[in-house]
Amino acid sequence: MSDEVMSEIRKDYLYHLVLKGERADGRAFDEYREIVLETGPIRKADGSALVKLGKTQVMVGVKIQPGAPFSDTPNKGVIITNAELVPLASPNFEPGPPNAMGIELARVVDRGVRESGAIDLESLCITPGENVWIVFIDVHVLDDCGNLMDASSLGAIAALMTAKVPAEQYGLGEDYPLPVKDLPVATTAVEFGDAIMFDPDTDEESVADTKLTVITTADGSVCGMQKSGTGFTSQDHIYRIVDIACERAKEIREKFLEV
Amino acid sequence: MDRMDRNVVVPGDLLSDDPKKAGEGTYVKDGKVCSLLYGMASSYKDKVRVIPLAGKYVPSPGDAVIGTVQDIVFSNWIVNINSPYEGLLHISELPRKIEMNEMSKYLRIGSSVMIRVKDVDSTMKVELTLNDRRLGILTRGRVAEISPTRVPRLIGKGGSMINMLKKELNCNIFVGQNGRIWVDGNDDDMDLALKTILIIEKEAHTTGLTDRILEFLRAEKEARS
Amino acid sequence: MIGMDDKLSFFKNGVRLDGRRPDELRPIKIEVGVLERADGSCYMEMGGNKVIAAVYGPREVHPRHLQEATRAIVRYRYNMASFSVEERKRPGPDRRSNEVSKVSREALEPVILTSYFPKSVVDIFVEVLQADAGTRTVGINAASVALADAGIPMKSLISSCAAGKVDGEVVLDPMKLEDNFGEADVPIAMTPNGDITLLQMDGRLTTEEFRKALETAKVGCEQIYEIQRKALVDRYSHMEEPESCNEAVAEGEI
Repeated sequence: MSDEVMSEIRKDYLYHLVLKGERADGRAFDEYREIVLETGPIRKADGSALVKLGKTQVMVGVKIQPGAPFSDTPNKGVIITNAELVPLASPNFEPGPPNAMGIELARVVDRGVRESGAIDLESLCITPGENVWIVFIDVHVLDDCGNLMDASSLGAIAALMTAKVPAEQYGLGEDYPLPVKDLPVATTAVEFGDAIMFDPDTDEESVADTKLTVITTADGSVCGMQKSGTGFTSQDHIYRIVDIACERAKEIREKFLEV
Repeated sequence: MDRMDRNVVVPGDLLSDDPKKAGEGTYVKDGKVCSLLYGMASSYKDKVRVIPLAGKYVPSPGDAVIGTVQDIVFSNWIVNINSPYEGLLHISELPRKIEMNEMSKYLRIGSSVMIRVKDVDSTMKVELTLNDRRLGILTRGRVAEISPTRVPRLIGKGGSMINMLKKELNCNIFVGQNGRIWVDGNDDDMDLALKTILIIEKEAHTTGLTDRILEFLRAEKEARS
Repeated sequence: MIGMDDKLSFFKNGVRLDGRRPDELRPIKIEVGVLERADGSCYMEMGGNKVIAAVYGPREVHPRHLQEATRAIVRYRYNMASFSVEERKRPGPDRRSNEVSKVSREALEPVILTSYFPKSVVDIFVEVLQADAGTRTVGINAASVALADAGIPMKSLISSCAAGKVDGEVVLDPMKLEDNFGEADVPIAMTPNGDITLLQMDGRLTTEEFRKALETAKVGCEQIYEIQRKALVDRYSHMEEPESCNEAVAEGEI
């Protein structure tokens, strides 16, 4: 609804800062804003997490329910990831079903969880061919101040890590913690001019030509990537981003996810 | 019940039993003056008024504001003036005459302007003008945005705050009624200017602010030298 | 309202299942101004309900044809997060959320001075993060505070709560079990003066019981009003007397 044209004066200022090696809020190019992570705020959900990344706020809820498996994987559980860019989170979000941005966000968060093997789908089988656990990961964006990708991914894995499979209410035994086998962390950087900046805020995202998200696992392997935006990026930049992404992801993992 | 105890009032708070005292930000019902807004209530020249703590800028004829060009449609520039209402700058409202096909060259999308509100009609059509020596296109400097409700405080009684800032900060400063502020100087001076403006926005409703800001500026400048 | 078998009783020695007296509200928490992008916002908890309300506006109306020449239009969108309820809910509006949105808007619109902002819209968004009976009333309470936080001119705040009937007795602010298995539910919203802007009822009540329910809910609203007001006032409690900016010259200068 909004999507204002950014003033040239503002753009010029951001470029000017980049040339001086600075960012508008004084951070280093590879520095993250303050992260606050609260797990379990939604007691009714089977797992939940509220992530604050700078002023960006995302709530992720996990619900685990029994259901039918997909016919081609009769003994595997199911992961379904959805993201809602609700209109209260930004003047640019409109009510309605997820648009391309929302779908991309959900699919990249899903990629991190799925490709890292964080959830062992076979362990979610109840009765092969009939009944398996369906894990719903629902990302609910509350305040978009830049870098929804990293905030949402962090929220997803934090919610999963602290989730309980509600076996009792379905007469399937006692409740038990959802087994999580890896801790994927997404790290996103944008490029403008020659500069690469991690954890972009709203203005930096607007001005940037391209954005690259890299998802790494606990052992430092890459399990997901997504370039978005309409600009060019060089191989050299990509390698640089991947290297720094691994470092930042490791720090975030150690600080917030490892007990 | 009289709610003037803390001075912060919410919509509906009773301010006075005398309808003659109804000032800005209030309304009268059943002979009582009540607040329309979430804001600070105060008495001023025997009227009771409420100064809002938040709110959008609504353009008024004569206001000087800072706008950003969003679009060019026929003979008008569509200008974002940080309001629910966009402004229209007509090709005839420039200091010199230009042709319609020169419009983008003269003032392109994304440019910022110091501009005046010429007229606002009953349909909220906002007409802007650049035809004034003191106005113009901004080609340098930086623009900050604060809540329009804090602009009076940034200017101060009789311009006391803004004049002090201009003197101490060694910058050109233009305060738009719409909450946008332009500063121009060297990098360090502009950094300090904007930092100061944000402090003023945050502490707009405290006492002794002008003096505190002056002290703050003197301390900052000493620290630099 | 299904009648329960006679095993479950909602009262024990005059105390409800969650320890409350019949005329007691659930614990309430209100935080004002919790979002950066929105013009006004409010996070509110009431019992197990967790709701966030945000206001954008007045702002330009899109699509244009919806705008009204002489006043702002008011839009209200109530939405429940998928994880907010027992069984995961498919995202998106449904018939219930549509109805809740409509009556909630109608509960707030009477106090908003829309004539101040012709050809614009005041958008109110309410997201239920966790639901525990009475979400529409919590939404209206939070929205009211968010509207004030956004600086929208209003005649007053609006306060909302529900009364129900369980085991033949009228109770204030029913929680989930009482709502699911009780005999009636009466949500209302009103101004601090007692003018009612929302009234719904379902279940079965004698006219006498209805009167009692309405009275009970009104008392609940009065209590909620004080909590809403306090949250707004306390936000600026560190502020002192306003500086004499009364005479500030309101003019941009170069």
